[in-house]
Amino acid sequence: MTASTGVSTSRNNSDGRSNDDALLLVDNLSVGFPTEDGVVHAVRGVSYTLRPREVLGIVGESGSGKSVTSMAVMGLLPKSAQVSGSVRFRNDELLGLSESALAKFRGEHLAMIFQDPMSSLNPVYTVGWQIAEALRAHHDMSKDAAMTRAVELLTTVGIPRAKERANNYPHEFSGGMRQRAVIAIAMANDPDVIIADEPTTALDVTVQAQVLDTLTTARHETGAAMVLITHDLGVVAGQADRVLVMYAGKPVEIGSVDDIFYTPRMPYTLGLLGSLPRLDAGDAERLTPIVGSPPSLINLPPGCPFAPRCPIRQPICDVEEPELRPTTSATHVAACHFSEQLEGKSPADLFQTSVADDVLPEDAGESEQQDRVVRGEETAEQVPGGGQS
Amino acid sequence: MLAYAIRRLLISIPIIIISTFIVFLLVTYSGDPLANLRVKQPIPPPQVFAKYRHQFRLDQPVLERYWHWITGVVHGDFGPSVEGGGTLNIGHELGHRLIVSARLVVAAMVIAAILAVVVGVVSAMKQYSIPDYAFTFTGFLFLSMPLFWFAVLLKEGAIWLNRNAGTSLATIGDSSPTVGAGTWAHFTDAVNHLVLPTIALAMTSYAAWSRFNRASMLEVLSSDYIRLARAKGLSRRRVLVRHALRTALIPFVTVTALDMAAILGATIITERVFQWRGMGTFLLDGITNLDVYVVLAWLLVAALVVIIFNLIADLLYGVLDPRIRYE
Repeated sequence: MTASTGVSTSRNNSDGRSNDDALLLVDNLSVGFPTEDGVVHAVRGVSYTLRPREVLGIVGESGSGKSVTSMAVMGLLPKSAQVSGSVRFRNDELLGLSESALAKFRGEHLAMIFQDPMSSLNPVYTVGWQIAEALRAHHDMSKDAAMTRAVELLTTVGIPRAKERANNYPHEFSGGMRQRAVIAIAMANDPDVIIADEPTTALDVTVQAQVLDTLTTARHETGAAMVLITHDLGVVAGQADRVLVMYAGKPVEIGSVDDIFYTPRMPYTLGLLGSLPRLDAGDAERLTPIVGSPPSLINLPPGCPFAPRCPIRQPICDVEEPELRPTTSATHVAACHFSEQLEGKSPADLFQTSVADDVLPEDAGESEQQDRVVRGEETAEQVPGGGQS
Repeated sequence: MLAYAIRRLLISIPIIIISTFIVFLLVTYSGDPLANLRVKQPIPPPQVFAKYRHQFRLDQPVLERYWHWITGVVHGDFGPSVEGGGTLNIGHELGHRLIVSARLVVAAMVIAAILAVVVGVVSAMKQYSIPDYAFTFTGFLFLSMPLFWFAVLLKEGAIWLNRNAGTSLATIGDSSPTVGAGTWAHFTDAVNHLVLPTIALAMTSYAAWSRFNRASMLEVLSSDYIRLARAKGLSRRRVLVRHALRTALIPFVTVTALDMAAILGATIITERVFQWRGMGTFLLDGITNLDVYVVLAWLLVAALVVIIFNLIADLLYGVLDPRIRYE
């Protein structure tokens, strides 16, 4: 079903922006996986536009369809996946292209960085060889020239002694270095779009910031636009221009970083913000968890998929699934029947600070003590060995 | 790498010595070499027993007998045989039969390995397609057919064909006693005799190996680095051969090496069915005649072959997989 390919270029996409200068145009993309229990509707109509040099952050919890969306864009889903909708790169429709036709776009125009750097590189070839291979796939260049360029790329992504390191095998690299090597592969052919699928999730916290810096370098060097998939709102805040929040396979809110962080118009977004630890907040503020878990994507009941976990749920929420509608501006859209009710609300106004699942009631006293330690109410003398730190 | 190879080779020596000792003890205590003599009517005089006891070194203690045997082997003397009244040179016979059997084993292994790789790749690429189901069916068919039965089936089928279709497939022996002069005539005769036993022996290994390669290939095809290789924009062929097959074949090396022992066992049955005068028949005749030193010679060769193949597999691993280092 690629009927929607007829979108005239002047029509507005569902994120409220015109498509005139779109680099990547995803329209009503849906993905289903047939299983024995029925079709899992992992992605249920995602639309977004990506303009040159723009960074779009896609956030959402595990299973919300973030990764599947980008795999569908790259055409990397297994054959059993049922994909419909439209994915346009400039003026070319990518959905339904053969593997060999897609290969011309992959690497050259659309590059991808995956979540787990430990397994992303082939263990039996050297890192330099694998970068050179990416170059030679799209450019007619000698092996030596490709290798020289590979060393340059490794230097760019911050690998020390790149010339020697290029001859190392992936297992001789640390996790952070491997992810840099994968970024170097993504940069190799100066792509127009880089899709980074949770590029820092599998890494040590201390390495995450360095890899994010490398990603920024890659973006500046290649001039590429980026789709940054993550469940870390902190990463999005630092990197993205626009944010798309996904829940149960659908975008529930799209807007600029400021829209999303300062005037969220979907209770789920608000809940995500409330569960984000903030160093700048006062010590009296507690985190507000979103109770419950996302729905199964097989036989999704009618109504808003977030309704069972939503603090402002009304009867209509169980009947009608809300569409994305403009809120504070035409380019800030949210899928909630009651988005105007969120005006001026903080997460604590809507969500409870206690865990309503009734887990760990007997630990309550202990956790309160830990809270005091975290908030610095206990003096350093009371902590064994304290005072030195 | 070279240092590792040498070290690995040196480690093989004690393994060989220990295995020969175990083999010797097992054969020594598994029966009475003179049992055939005892049931003879009329019972031979005690001098005959004494003569045989001395000839087969039964009058020596076990450890001395072992030493006598193993030092003999090092000098090319594999010990006395009952065959031909004790005149048969086991070493000489062994050399001849080894060549005959090696022909069969090598041909069968090469064919089985090539078939298994091709079928494994096709099955994995087109999982749950008609070719995949067809290969899966034949794979399990050959897996469940006992070799002795399949070999007899082949033989009878060939005899029927020879009779009714006018073909001249060789069904008995490793070569014809009457064959024209010239190397070419000898070569075609040998190939003709190889056809049926090779099919029988190859198919049993092929069945297991193709299933193994299919699984190994499927696992690699769903790995992250294959996804990255595709995301790089490589051609389908390059992803398949340079990235998937190259890595999927590493564990196959172990399987082939470990299967060597099983193939030696299967060779005995195949040779029996097709009446080859190879290693297999040598062992069976040795067991029937209670020919201790013949059985020992066979077991020694089998142990050596298994040890050598494991050594080759270990060394190949270092070449194929850079993660394995031998420092």
